[in-house]
This record gives sequence, structure tokens and C-alpha cells, in this order.
Amino acid sequence: MKIKVDKTVMASVALHVLVLGWVMLSFSTKALEMPPEESVAVDVVSSDQLAKVMAGMKTGKKENPKPLVEKVAEAKPVDDAVGKITEKAPVVTETAAPPQPKIEEKPVEKKPDPPKVVEKPKEEPKQVEKKPDPPKVDPIGDTLKKEEKKPPPKPVQAAKPPEPQKQRIVERHFDQNQIAALLDKRDPSRQATTGDTLNSNAALGTAKGAAADNSATWGSMFQRQVERCWKKPYGGIESQKPEVAFAIRLKRDGTLEGAPVPEGVPATPFLRVYQESALRAIIECQPYKLPAAFYEEWKYFAPVFKEKV
Amino acid sequence: MPFRLNRRQIITGMAALGAVAGGRNAFAQAPKRIPIPEGEFVPLPIAIPNFVAGTPGDAEVGVGVAQVITNNLKRSGLFAPIDQAAHIERVTNIDVAPQFQSWKQINAQALVTGRMTRQGDGRLKAEFRLWDINTNQQLTGQQYFTSPEYWRRIAHIISDQIYERMTGEKGYFDSRVVFVDETGSKERRVKRLALMDQDGANVRYLTRGSDLVLTPRFSPSTQEITYMEFGQGDPRVYLFNVETGQREIVGNFPGMSFSPRFSPDGQRIIMSLQQGGNSNLFVMDLRSKSTTRLTDTPAIDTSPSYSPDGSRICFESDRGGKPQIYVMPATGGGAQRISFGEGSYSTPVWSPRGDYIAFTKQGGGAFAIGIMKTDGSGERILTSGFHNEGPTFSPNGRVVMFFRDPGGSGGPSLYTVDISGRNELRVPTPGFASDPAWSPLLS
Repeated sequence: MKIKVDKTVMASVALHVLVLGWVMLSFSTKALEMPPEESVAVDVVSSDQLAKVMAGMKTGKKENPKPLVEKVAEAKPVDDAVGKITEKAPVVTETAAPPQPKIEEKPVEKKPDPPKVVEKPKEEPKQVEKKPDPPKVDPIGDTLKKEEKKPPPKPVQAAKPPEPQKQRIVERHFDQNQIAALLDKRDPSRQATTGDTLNSNAALGTAKGAAADNSATWGSMFQRQVERCWKKPYGGIESQKPEVAFAIRLKRDGTLEGAPVPEGVPATPFLRVYQESALRAIIECQPYKLPAAFYEEWKYFAPVFKEKV
Repeated sequence: MPFRLNRRQIITGMAALGAVAGGRNAFAQAPKRIPIPEGEFVPLPIAIPNFVAGTPGDAEVGVGVAQVITNNLKRSGLFAPIDQAAHIERVTNIDVAPQFQSWKQINAQALVTGRMTRQGDGRLKAEFRLWDINTNQQLTGQQYFTSPEYWRRIAHIISDQIYERMTGEKGYFDSRVVFVDETGSKERRVKRLALMDQDGANVRYLTRGSDLVLTPRFSPSTQEITYMEFGQGDPRVYLFNVETGQREIVGNFPGMSFSPRFSPDGQRIIMSLQQGGNSNLFVMDLRSKSTTRLTDTPAIDTSPSYSPDGSRICFESDRGGKPQIYVMPATGGGAQRISFGEGSYSTPVWSPRGDYIAFTKQGGGAFAIGIMKTDGSGERILTSGFHNEGPTFSPNGRVVMFFRDPGGSGGPSLYTVDISGRNELRVPTPGFASDPAWSPLLS
């Protein structure tokens, strides 16, 4: 006698086995790891402070020679942008072998800035000469032409920056008459980027900047580790706000280099007990797993044990 | 030409020097401060091996002392004694440092070692050392001499030493509790005054039980008890000396006198006297027997309790309609109501530490024991149920003892609870027990 097995049952069993097996493998326990806490540096700046900062930046550039160096660093992004544009342009020409309309299309699609149109009419003849593949683009070309006609009036004045890029590409190949105009447009665009508040901000920041402070990252890691060992004495009295600090030196392996040095002498028996409990915790919980990259920061620091506010 | 500085130049020069010095300070490496705010309170793991016997006959007392200390610390809720079976090292000589590593291995943070030795003159010598396992240091060490029958007291005193050294607060183990022992059926309940150690050991009966006794209160400074007794006629307030067993009546007043309590110096007794339908507070000097009236209201003022400095009194009064807690100067005068919660408040008692007033709160069909700050703020209910009443503070103000009657055919028993509301524990008594009052520290 044959046992009939429903196919759906078989499928169900197979699927369950698969899923459960995968669960058993993938949900197996992992050792408790302490990922570094991501820290976001936040400066609280009032509106009037911000106004001063802005003002300071402008004056700073004019007066100080240092910012100039920083400007060079800023200039890099501008170059990159130009490079990208040049790269894109050749691609366009290759793929866009077809007639004038295609070339026009791509720029429109990639960069929806209206200004392009002004130049396009001039460029069209050049492209046609390069690679005459009319068949593909005709229908789209019509629609594009319509679009082109519409945009030109708006962009003429406003859209200067994007134009130079395209024009450059074109220039290398063809018209010389237009080059002058293009160059004129490029210069103002460069000035605008260098003049950006962002650039000047970065420069000022590096000039003033202190050493990198990653204490939020390794500090919280240390905190979580030492707190597991900290058996806080039971104060119970709300009026007591104990706070004890130690200066500690750690070796690279996270162990203590020497005995933690308590800050100050506890004034009350409870504070003494509080200090001792913290000291016990620091000793008991070593070695500490802290990011080696920040060793210079955590080799010497001061944990401050206190009550949660 | 001589080199001269005018005043302005000197000042600017000094300022420049100061700036340089200040600048140097600012550049001196101050370690980065990392706040550690999250630590949780955890009972401290402590190892208490049996005390070493100085002579072969002292083994039993050595075990007993370790057990009493273990029990005390465990009941406090602040320590987690480690089971002796887990101990690795066997302490045989307390005069050398223990093997810290072996204690660290069982996660002990503190270790108590001790030795009991019978002396040639019959006295018992008790020595102990308290070790910090992580810093490998001795935190404290003491030795005591006593007659052998007082070994429990020695154990309590050592417990207090450990408690104080590890928590930063005074202990409370070397103290006693007076309470009303209740036996017999509910209809024919016999109530006797009884005295015991705070851990329930060494129960002694102070009265025979022929008369009903209520509200015993310990003197904060002497080994005396005041209580109320219903004999023939009106209830009277009595004074009882625990050491001598002497008993005397406090004053002779018309009408009922009740809810007596000592002043902090033990020289006066404050109580209520009933006159007609209302009762007022009076204070009586025990030496001169002179009586002073403190309140004069048409309401019921009762359950007075002094602040530990003796400057103020808290009491219960229904002058506002329902019983509430009031505070006034010890000399009488304007009373200020401090309880404003739902329900009624009664039996206020001031903490020996001065920071809290404990009370019984009735409302919503339940009796609760709570504490509040002396200005009435920070009210905290420690326990609540069918019937909880009669709070009394431990000598260090950290623990509140009260009695709980579960209702039904049973009777009341004593409980302790931390002033944080944690660690509620029943206190072992031979029979039913009510109306506890904690003594001051004996030593």
C-alpha cells in the first residue's frame, strides 16, 4: 500500500526545515561585543554667535595670509567637478553620435538646468559634423526641440556656471569664437565656489582646531565596561551628591599602568566608601577594551564617578 | 641714563607675566574627564568564613559568630554573603594576609576573618579583620573582650563595624527591639511586653500579661521604656527600666494618658492627655515631675514625636477634619500641617537621623507605612496592605520596622523594610507581635 503524500505538505515541510535550519544557524549566540558608540560632534551656537562667525570668516580671509593655504585645499573640489564634467562630455559625444537633437537631450536629462539651451544652437552644427547618425533620435528629437525652444528665454542670464563645462568640451574640438565668452563665464563660477561660506568655515576651523577629541567614543566604552564592575554603595539619602574622580593611566593592552590616583580626600565616611567602591571597580574591570586608534587619548584620563542627575 | 620704569610700564609688565603664567597653566595636561554616572546599586559580595578557634573549645562560638554576622549583613539588604561552600581558601591564621587571588576568584569584594579565643580568666577574646579583595588592603581590624555568654553581642558589634566601614553609615545591629507579644485566641489575647535583639534572638518578657499593654517606646538615650497600660480604671503611662526591671507610673492625671514618647535626652516624656472629648499634648519633666501643656485645641492631638535635636515635635491631629501630621516647635506654638495626601495620616515618628518622618497612612481600604521629609515633601510609601501600622526607625534611620496584621484568624507580626522601600523582611518572633519600638545602639 502506498502512502499518498500531498505535494503541498512536502513543500511545506521542506520550507520549514529550510527556514528553521537557517534560523538555528544564523541566530546562534554571539559574544557580547561593545561597538564604539558613534559620536556626532555638536556645537550649540546662538543666532548672534552665528552672525559673528559669518562676519569673522569674511574679514578673516581678507586679512590673514593663512586662509589662503586653505583655499588651495578648497580649490580641489572645484577641479574634481570640472574633471567629472569633462569625462561625462566625451561619453556623451560617443553615445550621442546621432544628430544634433540627441546631444541636446542628454545634457537636458542629466542636468536639468535651464541655461544650456542658449549655447546649444551654436553647438548643434559641430556635433552634426562629427557623427551623422540620424535614424534613432528623430522622434525624441522633435520633442526635445520643443523643449529647447521653451527654456532658452529663462536661462540666458542665470545659468552661467553649467554652461562653461559643456562649452569647454566643445571648445577643444571646434569653435574659437565662443571660447572667450565661455571663459568669462568660468571665472565668475570659480570665484563663487572659492567665495562659498563652506570653504571659509573649514579653513577657520582647522586653524583654530584642537587635537581630535574622540572621548565620546572610547569614553562611553570605558564607562560601560567599568560600570559592570561598579557595586555602588547604597547612599539612600537624596541630599548626598557624591562625585569622586581618579587619574588613571592605561597601557596599550587596557590594563592599569599603576594604581588609580584619587582626586582629593573624601570629606565624609560615605564619600570614602564611595571612592573605594569606584576604585574597586576600576581595578576589577581591567583590562579595558578600548579602540587602539585612540590610545593617545585614553592612555591618561580621569573617570568621574557620580550620581545620575 | 638710568633704566626706569613708570607705574604704567610696571603694571603692563606684571599683566604680561600673569598672562604667560596663566597660559602655561592652561597648557598643562589635565586628564580628560569621563563621567561614570550609571552605576547601579548592587549588594556587596562579602565572604565571611567561620572564625578561627583560638583554643579547641572555641570552634562552636567561632561558627556562631560568623553565622550571626552573615545573617545581619544579609538582612540589611546591602550585602550578599557568599556561601561558605564556595570558599576556596580555608582561613587558619588571621594574622597573615589572605590569598586575595582565591577570594577574587569567587567574586568576593570583601573578606572578614576572625578568631575567638577563650582567655585564662574565662573571658572571650574576639578579633576580626576586614579585607578589601581588590586593593589587597585591610580596611579595619578590632579586638574585643567579653564574657562568653555575650558572644552574640560581639557578633552584632562586629557586624556594625563592617557595615559602617563598607557603607559609610552607622550600623544598627547592636540594638534591641521592644514589642507587644501576643498569644492566645483572638478573643482572649494575652499581651505582654517583650524585648529582643533586633534579629529576633534573646527574647525576654517584661510583663506578665495580666494587664493590657500598648505603645511601648524606647528612650533614645537610656535603657528605659515608656508604655501605656490598661489596669484598673483609666489607662496610664508607665516607665520601665530594662536593666533593673523597676516600674513606675508617670504622673497622676485625671482622665486617660496615652501615646507617650521620650525626648531625645531621655529627660522628658511627651504624651497626650484626654480631657472630655478632645486630647492635647503635654510634656512632663521626669525629674521635677512638672507638666507643661503644649497644645490647647478642641481637637484630638496625639502621637507626638520629637525631632532628634529636640527642637521640634511632629504629631497627629484631626483639627483640620481628618487626622493629619503637624509639626510645631518643641515649646508649643504655631503648628504647621505637613501631610496633604489622600486619606488620613497617623503615628508619625521622627527618624533618629532627622531627615524623615515615618507614618501610617490610611485610605482606600488599606493601611500603608510611608516616610516623608520633615517639610512634608517627598512622600514615599514603603508598604501597603490590609493592616500595617506602628513604624519605628532603626538607630541609624535606614530601616523601618512595623507590624502587619494579615486579618483573618491570624495575628500580627513584625517586619522591616529599607527606607527605599526595598528588602522587606519578616522579623522572627515566638508568637504574634505588634507595636515594635527600636532601641538606640547599645554601645
